[in-house]
Amino acid sequence: MSDSQFGLGGLKYDPKMKAKPPELNVFLALMIIVVTFEVLGRVIYGDSFLFNQRANVDAIFNWPRLNIIILQVSIIGIIALGVTQVIISGGIDLSSGSIVGATAMIVMSFAQTELVNGNPNPKAIFGPWAMDLPVIVPIMIGLLCGAIAGSINGILIAYTRIPPFIATLGMMVSARGLSKWWSNGNPVSFPTESFAALGKGMWPVVYFVGLAILFHLVLRYTVYGKHTYAIGSNEDAARMSGINVAKQKVMIYAIAGMLASIAAIVLSSKNLTAQAGMGVMYELDAIAMTVIGGVSLAGGRGSILGTVLGALIFGVIISGFTFLKLDAYYQEMVKGAIIVGAVVLDQWRQKSASART
Amino acid sequence: MKKTLVVAGFAALMSTTAIAENIGVSMALFDDNFLTVLRNGIQAHADENGIDVQIEDAQNDVAKQLDQINNFIASGVDAIVVNPVDTSATQAMSDAAAAAGVPLVYVNRQPINLDTLPDNQAFVASNEVDSGTLETIALCDNWAAEGKTEVNVYVMQGELSNQAAVQRTADIYDVIAAGNCKVTVNVIDQQTANWSRDQAQNLMTNWLSTNTPFDGVIANNDEMAIGAIQAMKAAGIDMASVQVGGVDATQDALAAMQAGDLDVTVFQNAAAQGSGSLNAAVALAKGEAVDQTVWIPFELVIPSNLDGYLSKN
Repeated sequence: MSDSQFGLGGLKYDPKMKAKPPELNVFLALMIIVVTFEVLGRVIYGDSFLFNQRANVDAIFNWPRLNIIILQVSIIGIIALGVTQVIISGGIDLSSGSIVGATAMIVMSFAQTELVNGNPNPKAIFGPWAMDLPVIVPIMIGLLCGAIAGSINGILIAYTRIPPFIATLGMMVSARGLSKWWSNGNPVSFPTESFAALGKGMWPVVYFVGLAILFHLVLRYTVYGKHTYAIGSNEDAARMSGINVAKQKVMIYAIAGMLASIAAIVLSSKNLTAQAGMGVMYELDAIAMTVIGGVSLAGGRGSILGTVLGALIFGVIISGFTFLKLDAYYQEMVKGAIIVGAVVLDQWRQKSASART
Repeated sequence: MKKTLVVAGFAALMSTTAIAENIGVSMALFDDNFLTVLRNGIQAHADENGIDVQIEDAQNDVAKQLDQINNFIASGVDAIVVNPVDTSATQAMSDAAAAAGVPLVYVNRQPINLDTLPDNQAFVASNEVDSGTLETIALCDNWAAEGKTEVNVYVMQGELSNQAAVQRTADIYDVIAAGNCKVTVNVIDQQTANWSRDQAQNLMTNWLSTNTPFDGVIANNDEMAIGAIQAMKAAGIDMASVQVGGVDATQDALAAMQAGDLDVTVFQNAAAQGSGSLNAAVALAKGEAVDQTVWIPFELVIPSNLDGYLSKN
């Protein structure tokens, strides 16, 4: 059966040689971490990490904990969706955290309410004309900010040919400067009811999951997605085959910028305030989620699903350590080890995959 | 003749700089809410009194701050005001200023070499021992007034590398150990939320998911207290049933207190610290003697005296 008369040789299809999807490994890692916390919790405190232990509540799982696990990573997760696309295209985006800060300041300035507990808003940025605007105004301004910042990144990278690391580093520093300059470092607070409703409760999770599904489909089934992978795999080959690489890159970075600005809108709404220091280090957390999720920094490989799993690993670790009442010191040390470990595993997997072919 | 002219010219130059004191200010971080109020206090006081100030942002970087101080010395400022990034790294700053004979004033954060400061250096701040103490005693009084004898609380810490976070947390335990609390306090858990409202929201929600009954949250600052309040409200907890305390008396915190959510905060007079440090710097530049340690008192803010603080920070 396997001896074909046409002599397919090395090109012959062999189901055994088909690589397992990398997301499977990430999912297994997630499960191992969850089980570890469950076992440690039962051994140390006699309490369950995932399951409901209360007699007065009729539920199998401890839903408040499951909710916070995903809620606390949803906002950075939204940023990571954009970072995933940038990294798949072979680039990097260091500016997303600063775009969050700058956008939050600007958005909140157009989302303020005139009266706080019957007094004039003590943090008012503009005059009465900018008070109590319909919620669509700050949202559109926010998306515009993100699109502009992202497009500047993309244009710099595509047309001046400077490395993405440098272009987005510049944006990271400049956007942070803008967020501090905007109100001389003062926080901007007290939004309208309708703006505050955007980030209430589990809405950040809804946005995260919705956007994840959207971009999963986009990367999988659209020309935009296929071109993104093509540029990341081999930029020269992509150019030879007629892809407008420059235009594609501008689009990728603009979308990443807009996702960062969506994160800024949700974050400032959830916290009812915008502060110049918001989003510091978010870019690195977003990159870490992406890398843990199996997206290759070399470009061309990875998926939105992987990034979502990477974000969940982050969330499980944060909640697990609070559950075990361990200090933040250990949390950071373990987080660092997991990031490095994920990339080491990825390298091994790549090596063994190439050895088989 | 030429020589005397040059000397006269120099003397004229010197005298013009002596009229308006030229003070270099290095702030630890521009995008910190409290430090922004402090920085604005310095700027406002300088504008009122015709003092030239140049304010730099050390961006939480110890090395950058030392470079800024050396740059100030090189550009011949009359005195330097430093809001230290890291209070254990102040020896090098003191040495650099002392070697150049430039007066130096530390503001807001206590330098580790406070006991050995040279004569032309000083320290202006509020005593952090008071902040956490005022906060904890006021919360204890509230619990006692509710008729409780034993309470379970969560403690939210600021950045663990920061002296104020360490001190304010130590204050809580000191009040309990010294028997100054009217009720018995059991700390269920103590974690950092890095001064941040968002992290505090997440931390509080994580705590709520353990379903341990609790009577209150003692936070090292207002931002974290507000984050805890937002998480509790989202979980449907009646804010009248828990006591929440913070420190700073920010506008957001005072609004939360007006709404009946926040029970206790402590006002740290940032503007007075700013003007105090500038006054000390100017006096030292003129060669006058100043107290080496100037304490600006903390003030307790509770709903009954809230109105007096609405326009302060």
